[in-house]
Amino acid sequence: MTGPAIQALVSLAGVIALWRLCGRFGLGGDVRIRDDEAAARLASESLDGFHAVQIGIDRAGIGAILRDDLGRVLLLRRHGVHFAARLLDNHSGVRLDRNFLTITTDDRHFGVTTLNLGPQAQVWAGSFRRLGG
Amino acid sequence: MEGFDPLPWAIPGFILLVLAEMVWARSKAPATYEPRDTLTSLLLGLGSTLASAAAAGAVAGAAAWLHQFRIATIGWQWWLWIACFVLDDFNYYWAHRTGHRVRWFWASHVNHHSSQHYNLSTALRQTWTGFIALSFIFRIWPVLLGFHPAMIVTVGAINLIYQFWIHTEAIRRLPRWIEAGMNTPSHHRVHHAINPLYLDRNFAGTFIVWDRLFGTFQAERDDEPARYGIVRQLGSFSLIWAAFHEWVAMGRDVVKAPWAAKPGYLWRTPGWSHDGSRETTDAIRSRWQSRHDELQATGCQQSRS
Repeated sequence: MTGPAIQALVSLAGVIALWRLCGRFGLGGDVRIRDDEAAARLASESLDGFHAVQIGIDRAGIGAILRDDLGRVLLLRRHGVHFAARLLDNHSGVRLDRNFLTITTDDRHFGVTTLNLGPQAQVWAGSFRRLGG
Repeated sequence: MEGFDPLPWAIPGFILLVLAEMVWARSKAPATYEPRDTLTSLLLGLGSTLASAAAAGAVAGAAAWLHQFRIATIGWQWWLWIACFVLDDFNYYWAHRTGHRVRWFWASHVNHHSSQHYNLSTALRQTWTGFIALSFIFRIWPVLLGFHPAMIVTVGAINLIYQFWIHTEAIRRLPRWIEAGMNTPSHHRVHHAINPLYLDRNFAGTFIVWDRLFGTFQAERDDEPARYGIVRQLGSFSLIWAAFHEWVAMGRDVVKAPWAAKPGYLWRTPGWSHDGSRETTDAIRSRWQSRHDELQATGCQQSRS
């Protein structure tokens, strides 16, 4: 095995050790959206100028769906100890299953988000038709 | 080009400092780190080292080839090392500024910004595609003045090492005289922030004077805590996606765009679109500024009445 290969393997071992330690130390956290105010703030931070007028928060607080005064719909979901958002521009990726709304965005790396919105899930699902398909 | 590269010697120091910051975070701010984010950052760092090593020969060859056309031969006196460092830092400023303002270069640099965290592991989150983007062109031209390629490699590496420790929230502010001239954790937090006020500011490597000189300086404000990442957050911890996502997005845009608009997706500011359907950082900041000014004016009127 050559010098650079050994160096790369030692570095990889170092990387894994630091990652494991990060977990051992309990770093990170369990962030949740507590209320409408928090959801609205996160949405406006994610998309400048987004003023939420309708908000649906997942029962566990791991995500939310928001509509603004311009009719735009924003999906917020937990990403590590932060949140990431995507604007939804069509309803083709939205599936309703009783209280659960499952949303797939155009960005497949963003993943699929399932929100438990309670009875509001049906109202939201219905309103998505306005987005077009 | 046999320059002294201090980077390998600095790596144990980097690891120890990341460890020290983790210990600090454990007691003071556990959310500073997130294991999956840290793993992605560190692997991007490792991959970047391998990519740089693979490209080193070509970059060295280009520098050596250019060096034969030098207009003078510059020696190795200590003060010439300082001059070379300052010139390289000036070049870094422009390379970095272009890295944010031209999408081609942004595609390579964006992964350094794609974490929503700001810690010492973020510093190691470096590009894999710097060579493909040809970013090195900004740094090697001083060989034409007569600086030896090896000297440029060495000062460039020192500059990179300097920038490691400023990726932290553990240090708030340094004495005013340091903040005035040097790039510091406070100045660099602004650079990594996505608050509209902070977008595309503080491009400096070592000396913040370049930003002050060229109008891109923004001081960190206590009433505006930095939020980190990119305007459209990645929302993924995938290593490969973090390394290549903007190249993929740029490629898709070029393919989809009408012929006349295609080059614009390569050389214009990130966020530019031929149909105006997207926003650049300038547009975001300008809208935020107008709203902010309006709010302040309303506040002033209310306090008068």
